[in-house]
Amino acid sequence: MEKTKLTRRTVLRTAALTTTVLTTPFVRRGQTAEAVVPKGKMTLGWHSNIAARWLDPQQHDGTATPDNFLFANQDALIKNFRDKRYDHLALADKFDFAEDSKSATFQLRAGIKFHDGSPITPEDVRWSYEHYTGASAAVLHERTHAIDIVNDRTIRFSFKDPFLDFPILMGTGNVCGAGWFVPAKYYQKVGKDGFVQKPIGAGPYKLVSQQPGSKIEYEAFEGYYRPVHVKNFTIVSVPEAATRVAMLERGEADIIYLVPGELIDRIKNNPKLMLAPVVSGSWWLEFPGFQDPKNPFHDKRVRQAVSLTVDRKAINDAESGGMGRVSGNWINDDVEYALDWPQWETNIPKAKELMKQAGHPDGFKVDWLTVVPNYFPRGERVISQLKAIGIQTRLQTMERGVYLKRMESGLKEWPGVQIIMNATRIGGSWSNWYDGMFKCGGYQSQDMICVQALDDKFAKYAASFNPAERKKIAEEIQKVILEEYYFVPVFRHAFLNAIGPRLKAAKWEDVFPTALTTGYAYPWEDIELKETAAAEK
Amino acid sequence: MGQFMLRRTMYAVVTLFILSLTIFTVVRLTGDPVTLLAEPGARAVDLDRIRAEWGLDRSLPMQYLAFAQNIFTGELGKSFNYQMPVSTLYFQRLPNSLELALAATLISFVIGIPAGIISAVRVNSAWDNVGKTVALLGLSVPGFWLGLVMILIFSVWLHWLPTSGQGGWQHLIMPSLALGWYFAASLLRLTRSSMLEVLRSEYVKLARLKGLPGYVVLAVHAFKNALIPVLTLAGVNLVVMINAAVIIEVIFAWPGIGRLLYEGIFQRDFPLVQGVVMQAGIMIVVINLIVDILYAYIDPRIRLTK
Repeated sequence: MEKTKLTRRTVLRTAALTTTVLTTPFVRRGQTAEAVVPKGKMTLGWHSNIAARWLDPQQHDGTATPDNFLFANQDALIKNFRDKRYDHLALADKFDFAEDSKSATFQLRAGIKFHDGSPITPEDVRWSYEHYTGASAAVLHERTHAIDIVNDRTIRFSFKDPFLDFPILMGTGNVCGAGWFVPAKYYQKVGKDGFVQKPIGAGPYKLVSQQPGSKIEYEAFEGYYRPVHVKNFTIVSVPEAATRVAMLERGEADIIYLVPGELIDRIKNNPKLMLAPVVSGSWWLEFPGFQDPKNPFHDKRVRQAVSLTVDRKAINDAESGGMGRVSGNWINDDVEYALDWPQWETNIPKAKELMKQAGHPDGFKVDWLTVVPNYFPRGERVISQLKAIGIQTRLQTMERGVYLKRMESGLKEWPGVQIIMNATRIGGSWSNWYDGMFKCGGYQSQDMICVQALDDKFAKYAASFNPAERKKIAEEIQKVILEEYYFVPVFRHAFLNAIGPRLKAAKWEDVFPTALTTGYAYPWEDIELKETAAAEK
Repeated sequence: MGQFMLRRTMYAVVTLFILSLTIFTVVRLTGDPVTLLAEPGARAVDLDRIRAEWGLDRSLPMQYLAFAQNIFTGELGKSFNYQMPVSTLYFQRLPNSLELALAATLISFVIGIPAGIISAVRVNSAWDNVGKTVALLGLSVPGFWLGLVMILIFSVWLHWLPTSGQGGWQHLIMPSLALGWYFAASLLRLTRSSMLEVLRSEYVKLARLKGLPGYVVLAVHAFKNALIPVLTLAGVNLVVMINAAVIIEVIFAWPGIGRLLYEGIFQRDFPLVQGVVMQAGIMIVVINLIVDILYAYIDPRIRLTK
């Protein structure tokens, strides 16, 4: 019997088949969209102000925050959805990425419309892509050779060279907004500033009104291709955490984001409420300027000793009520090519021995330990733990913007011996993490962490068009970072949210379906109210 | 009089110029707003793009000139965060802030003035001690704490009032109480001291000697005169409440100007912070100018003093 050859096309075909099988239940739901009559009102207590740019996919800032709004008001060709990282078919019902990675073809669903009733056309897709100014715009535009409208539902992107990251960029809502296209004519008519005041999309909820920065009111879009269960959806900005919790307790909000540690018990002790600990950003220790032989962290044994000293479970328990995750890798496991790595041990005697071998039997003084503001308590915990091997340091606090500016400015802003407890959550691919946080000249690594051999490998990765080779290189690089303790992973903290009693949810994952992709509640159209709540006026 | 008005107007213009320079410089001392417009992980090219888009790649003098031009056009610049003119945002929020500030002023009047009068009239009595305690508590209990305690009691436990937001009169009760409480205390203290001073004055003694009833002496002769500094303070308080009720508006998610300012500072939204501060500054300077001119009109000694 002839053995089936494993090619990119067969892999994609299998993936498409699997997608079809897995999405069949949703398709069925889609076919019964008319049978679902949206009812009731749902309110989300948002934890900061609402920036206008989050309402416009064209201005996507490359972070996770716009996700929350895009999933309500807009929709994409393909998108991150439940456990699908980037290739869930949304407004496109067919997506074909060429075997040579030099073109991608999308077929739009038949008969779909924007909220204003205008039909969604390939021209909207093309115009949005060509005029997209948000995150990753430069790389998308540079690498795109042509955009051809094949017919009234089909559009094809051709690239100058194989563009393996294209589907990830197009489909990952917390990395890039290029796949979340806008109604071209309307956008041109009202302009960028006008659009954010009255955004029109093709998502499950259409805008009714907004008080800029403080409140957005949506209404179910009955023309959506999937059933939408709740009629009115309001997002209200409530910066004070205690007020958000009170809103939930009183039934004024149904979902709230960001419950701080001191309020966790109020949620836990209330049987009507449900805590939703979404495992989120990853935290690690880094040693700026460790390449300098005079720096005590130049010695791998010292870095390893630090790793052996950190009690990750204690930090997770204290900082996330034990609801975060003590993971081995500093790169989140929900991105492409992230390497799975076992948990790190805590072993003080072994750490002391390593310090002794490295010539620091009594430890040494570190000028500062700086932690991403405003998570100062977790920095204090690390400082306290490091005392066990004689590393004495103090916590350096600063305002968040100052911290980011100093990170962006490189080693000159971090003189002497320093430890930084850094953190991020970036979607899409592991390469976004490496590129921004580790690579020499990266956004936050700058000249603080320069390992030429790994950067050379990364250049090879970036130049490669072979997925298998890419995966291999990606894993090799991550392995070296971890084995050499260039970064000392600490934990993934939990982004603590809460759900009120009016929502139909047996468990919190019904509203926050997965730790993959977005950290917010979604898909909004799937969230349902209990019968009694839905019947309320 | 004309020369006096001209001189005062020039002082006002110079004050506003100094204010504009100060706020322009101070907001820029806080760092680069682009680091907050794009969160960690954004690429360097994206940060540069945002800088260019908002004119932050221009020299400081050029940025100041643009700011000054925006003040003259009345637009006050365009907010980074909201992508709309600051003046539009300001005037959208102004009615909300006015609503809250007027309610808080009413509460501060209702509590502060009668309590101040009673304290002064019954000086060193139990009433006075109660008044002094209220004043002390009002000035020392932080508004955010009072607000949170009220939310806990009246919203969460008793279910009487909504926790936050703007809506009907029920929404106004807690924030206006939390805001007015502090100002009631300051009014109480000022009313008390002002009344005590007036009650010791010669013309009040004369009124009493003339045999006028006590309430007439209090209401017509004492209170009327004691009210002048109280009203002056209340006017300043009102401007402060409109523009800077930051904490109360944040606690109660009240969409007012104070919260707008808070968000602007938090997000380093330079045009927004500059615009709100300038608008508040203009309000205060203009009110002071009008008061100065009125004083000069009423009292010729003022306009003759160089």
